Amino acid sequence: MSEVTAPGGTIYDRGYRHYDGPREGRGRRVRAIAAAGVRRVLGLKRNWKTKVVPWGLLVLAFGPVLAFIGVRVLFAAAADEFFTYAQYLRIVAGLLLLFAATAGPELLCPDRRQNVLALIFTRPVTRSDYLVAKLAALLAVVGLIAVVPLVVLFVGNTLTADSAATYLRQNLDDLGKILIAGSVLTVFYSVIALAAASLTDRRAVATAGLLGVMLGSSALANILFFTAQFDGRRWVAFLSLSGLPGRFVDWLFGAPFDPGTLADQAGFTGPGYLVAMAVVVVVAAAILVWRAMRLRA
Amino acid sequence: MLVAEVEGLSKRYGAVQALDRVDVAIEPGCTGLVGSNGAGKSTLIKLLLGLLAPDQGRASVLGHDVAVDPLAVRARVGYLPEGACLPGDVTAADFVAFMAQLGGLPPRPARERAAEVCYQVGLDEERYRAVGGFSTGMQQRVKLAVALVHDPAFLLLDEPTDGMDPQGREDMLELIARIRGELGIDVLVSTHLLGDVERVCDRVVMVHAGHVLAQGSIAEVAGTTEPGFGIQLADNGPEVLAALAAAGLPARPSGDDLLVQGASDLIRDVAAERGWPLRRLVPRAPSLEETFLRLQAAAGGPPAPEVQPAAPTPEAAWGVRR
Repeated sequence: MSEVTAPGGTIYDRGYRHYDGPREGRGRRVRAIAAAGVRRVLGLKRNWKTKVVPWGLLVLAFGPVLAFIGVRVLFAAAADEFFTYAQYLRIVAGLLLLFAATAGPELLCPDRRQNVLALIFTRPVTRSDYLVAKLAALLAVVGLIAVVPLVVLFVGNTLTADSAATYLRQNLDDLGKILIAGSVLTVFYSVIALAAASLTDRRAVATAGLLGVMLGSSALANILFFTAQFDGRRWVAFLSLSGLPGRFVDWLFGAPFDPGTLADQAGFTGPGYLVAMAVVVVVAAAILVWRAMRLRA
Repeated sequence: MLVAEVEGLSKRYGAVQALDRVDVAIEPGCTGLVGSNGAGKSTLIKLLLGLLAPDQGRASVLGHDVAVDPLAVRARVGYLPEGACLPGDVTAADFVAFMAQLGGLPPRPARERAAEVCYQVGLDEERYRAVGGFSTGMQQRVKLAVALVHDPAFLLLDEPTDGMDPQGREDMLELIARIRGELGIDVLVSTHLLGDVERVCDRVVMVHAGHVLAQGSIAEVAGTTEPGFGIQLADNGPEVLAALAAAGLPARPSGDDLLVQGASDLIRDVAAERGWPLRRLVPRAPSLEETFLRLQAAAGGPPAPEVQPAAPTPEAAWGVRR
């Protein structure tokens, strides 16, 4: 170690030192990958262009809720009811699909495309650690949009009600439904987005592919149901992948399906759509695990 | 204790036998792993890291069996891979800190250590820039920082001077020498540049077509080749080489000279008989290059154009500074 004394202080050149501090285990590694994933999805510590889509979607998810609460606070009688929780969740479901379709590929594709895995897997990181961390990152951010705006809306409705205690007592089960629906939607969109991202190392292809499958399947289901005549055609309701979350949410909150729609005429109830979502998640998870185990450094 | 050891290690990729029953012992110090492209160097390194499973044989690194506990190996080993492998839109400091956390360091020590190690490898203010804007030499420094940041006991460097200009190569070789000399970290340098190995390594392992040709200290391995003479004639063409060979003096070109094996007075006499102006006749100690080419030829391999002779001296460098 060299030392230079100057007026007001001494400069030490310590050189390279061996590290003798604490070393954490698997949890630290998983948290590091997950935290890096959250920063990446939100465009943090990167240039401004990477922040446009995620923060734009966050503004769309939170903005109307905050504006409504502000109006109710300022002009109590002016706003009776905003959207119902079910209606707002169905709007959020559309945002969730867009967000997951961009965030999932952002989490998985660059590491493969830029060959960063050649470095990551030379640390004591297993493929399952890597996968769990990436999924945790996406669940955290998607959950932020799926759950928090609705919780904020519930809290706002409670605080701006004539009697907060009465509102809370009468509507507490809605809070439970918000948490359940938000969690189900979070898992659904996160797993399928990562599965789509695992199939290619190009973000745009993964995003377009996922949106194409989700929206295209719904279009196909509607075409088949309303134009074809065959036994069991009601079952095509379960092919409408982008419609499954909305139908589950409507059932959960006791809202009727829109008259004349595929969901209304197919005659299935919420649990059926929940089972269909579970099947989709299981298939997507199997694809994701299969692809993760094939990752090479 | 050996730093790493492999016994009977084999690995096949389809029809290609990348390694064939290889036995290697890596002793403490700086060891060069030398061979042409496709000789099996990168495969051996990946097997040592546990990134590939061998078809047969076993490997151990720092006392850990790679097949049984690959994570323990990777916790104590630093690796500089060949080729591009850095994220372009992240700063060097952030990425090195992230890799430090993957080595088990808590966040704050990871950031502090990342800053220190970046400085040690020659990345000052550049570490706050995105890696995508770095030159090849700077990217190699980032990879070296990543390999060092978690304080490994053993460094595996795969083509560390790849794509670097002469000054960058000098800087990198100096860093490698410091890592071994001052930091006491054992190093395995995989390269096809024999000059780099002669500069910084104590020992060498030569591989060709999945087999080990020789291993040992550089003096031992180079000493298996008889010393010869460097001569310079007015014409070093193929007729001269054929005439020397016919006189029992095997020769081959080496830069401006011919490397000839045989007695100096016989060489002088042959030149005089043929009327060749003999401008220079100097003894030449056996080099790794000559040994490698001789062993490769004996193993039935072609001359290895990818195996480079000794690196140009700093005086011949472009003068391009980092």
